[in-house]
Amino acid sequence: MEFGLKPLGREKFWLWALLTPTLIGLLFGALGSVIATVLLSFAKWDLLTPPTWAGLVNYVDLFTDPKIMLALTNTLKFSALYVPGVVIVSLLVAVLMNRKLRGVSFFRTAYFLPTVTSAVATALVWNMIYGRDTGILNFILERIGLQPVCWLCAENAMYSVVLVNIWGAIGEGMIIFLAGLTAIPREYYEAAEIDGANGFQQFFRITIPLITPSIFFQTLMSTINAFQAFDYIYMLTRRGQGDSSIPVVVFSIYRNGWNFFNYGGASAQAILLTVVVAIFMAISFWLERRYVVYE
Amino acid sequence: MKRLMFVLVIVSLMLAACGGAATPTPAPVSNEPVTISMMMWGDPAELEVWNQIVADFHTANPNITVKVEVSDWDSYWTKLKTMLSAGTPPDVFTMDAPLYLDYQSRGVLLNLQPYLDKNPGMLDGVYPQTLEAYKTPDGMYGLPRDFQTIVLFYNKDMFDAAKVAYPTADWTYDDLRNAAKSLTITSSDGKTTQYGFYSDLWDMELVWSEGIWAYGGDIINADHTKTLVSEPKALEAWQLFHDMMFVDKSWPDSTTAGEYGGDPFLAGVAAMTPIGHWAVPGYLEANFKWDVAPMPKGPAGQATSVNSAGFVVGKDSKNPDAAFAFLKYVLSEPAQKHLAELGFACPVLKSVAESDAFLKQKAPIDQKIFLDSLAFARMKPVFKGYDEWSSAIGDGMATIWTGETELGPTLDEAVKAADDVLANNK
Repeated sequence: MEFGLKPLGREKFWLWALLTPTLIGLLFGALGSVIATVLLSFAKWDLLTPPTWAGLVNYVDLFTDPKIMLALTNTLKFSALYVPGVVIVSLLVAVLMNRKLRGVSFFRTAYFLPTVTSAVATALVWNMIYGRDTGILNFILERIGLQPVCWLCAENAMYSVVLVNIWGAIGEGMIIFLAGLTAIPREYYEAAEIDGANGFQQFFRITIPLITPSIFFQTLMSTINAFQAFDYIYMLTRRGQGDSSIPVVVFSIYRNGWNFFNYGGASAQAILLTVVVAIFMAISFWLERRYVVYE
Repeated sequence: MKRLMFVLVIVSLMLAACGGAATPTPAPVSNEPVTISMMMWGDPAELEVWNQIVADFHTANPNITVKVEVSDWDSYWTKLKTMLSAGTPPDVFTMDAPLYLDYQSRGVLLNLQPYLDKNPGMLDGVYPQTLEAYKTPDGMYGLPRDFQTIVLFYNKDMFDAAKVAYPTADWTYDDLRNAAKSLTITSSDGKTTQYGFYSDLWDMELVWSEGIWAYGGDIINADHTKTLVSEPKALEAWQLFHDMMFVDKSWPDSTTAGEYGGDPFLAGVAAMTPIGHWAVPGYLEANFKWDVAPMPKGPAGQATSVNSAGFVVGKDSKNPDAAFAFLKYVLSEPAQKHLAELGFACPVLKSVAESDAFLKQKAPIDQKIFLDSLAFARMKPVFKGYDEWSSAIGDGMATIWTGETELGPTLDEAVKAADDVLANNK
């Protein structure tokens, strides 16, 4: 940075001073839970009686219990659809919002609203939209002469749920991309226009390469969010008593812990989730070195 | 000087110890005002009634104040477990009988037996079937407050329109199946517009435990080590349900049912459904006439399920005497009357259940059927690991009821998973 305010005194001092509040929170809040989770993953614990050492039993379960495998498969499937979806849709929305549109601030607010609204409440609204007989979506479909679709039935549920999750995440992605887009100097586009580049060429040759850092960051965040997704999925696919037709890993962790008195198993699944996310992060950072352009 | 202080301290400590020992039993609760906390699941209508019961209790026992806290079902259990694990449980909290042993066996509940022994005859007026679930080898750790028996609800308008006779106490499952067939209406384009019967098959309570018992099968063996729902006799009941759904098509599969908000009976597209008294307040809103009949008979006789909700006391409760006084009050006539008027369940106190408070509610149905069903009701099984076991069966069989998998092999797999759960909870 060559401009902006210069910190008074040594930079190192301010660095630590500003990091301290977060670090204290991490150290005493998150770190404690992380250590507890690691320890509990080697234990049998029902929350009500003292934990007992269980060795690797919980980890063996990870690979032998078909329910955990199903949950992991669902999480991976969900992520594979969700991450590209969020990145592409929120990038397109950001490009639109970056134009000089009438009432652009209204649209920006509208797109951001789901981010700050309770997921449980919005999921209930989505249930009304997706309903087969009473749903708004099928009402529209039937009005224009199409067959009603069972949006939350086995064969469609995953796509319907991904759609809601993408919808809920557009706002956050849009903010990230808007920040990246406004940082691209206008001269580049002006120069491209003089050279006769059309809109598409400008988008793919200038915009995309220059916001690769934002794309990278957004992909990273979406991946983490995808692996932690739970609220919308559960609210839209729950059945029976606390069951879900699309059980994901976070759901399985919740259920094993709170419903089945199996906090050890739940902890081991949390560790599994962390390891899988870590692997994806490692791949992302490797790709970053190859493809992300920093000015 | 220092030495003198030391001696003084020792002497005062000894005096204090003697003083403690000199008081043989804790002072009776009624002497000093105490506040006990009571936690329950429920909805606003229930909270209103409980606030009334608590106020009446306070009038009768001016020194005990009960603080009621109500949550929805899911948050209730999460909150309860957190409080128990932190060692700060509510003094009194509600318990669903099937989950009772999961808590009792982990030593977080107070044994109420010493109190019950001091109050002989206290449970004399209570239906014995509702007490069964709370009994353990070393006494009772909980007391019921109300109970549910499953009966057959039927849509009178649909029966009238199809000119089918209403269900009777002598109905068999074959009668049920035939009536369901006659009540099913398929439109000219092959779409079913009305189903004869519906029940959710995830939990055993609504239909499948009743069916299995009526066909002579059982749910689980006596020492809770083996799941019996795939034995030949139980399989006959499953086959009946399966055939009604996929051969007769008189019972909507779970996907179709989901499209009617999970309750095709209330939605007015299914003519019969077996369910408990908790459904009555909701069904009062339905725009059709309905009534109830006992569950049908099977080859092994008539059977239904009885389950109760009750109250337990936290083992670490600071005011166990006051807590028990409240539990005792819940079983009294005034409190049971309030519960009867609430209309969600049947009172466990016989005198109230057989009085107008329960029999003459605003629902224009034969309330006595719920009580008479106790004669052939069997207790919804209570064992450790219940929640996980019922999920193994419910989740495991879910694909049968969507039509994705075959009955036999899927059932066997679910039973294997359920037996694993039992082994883990030994």
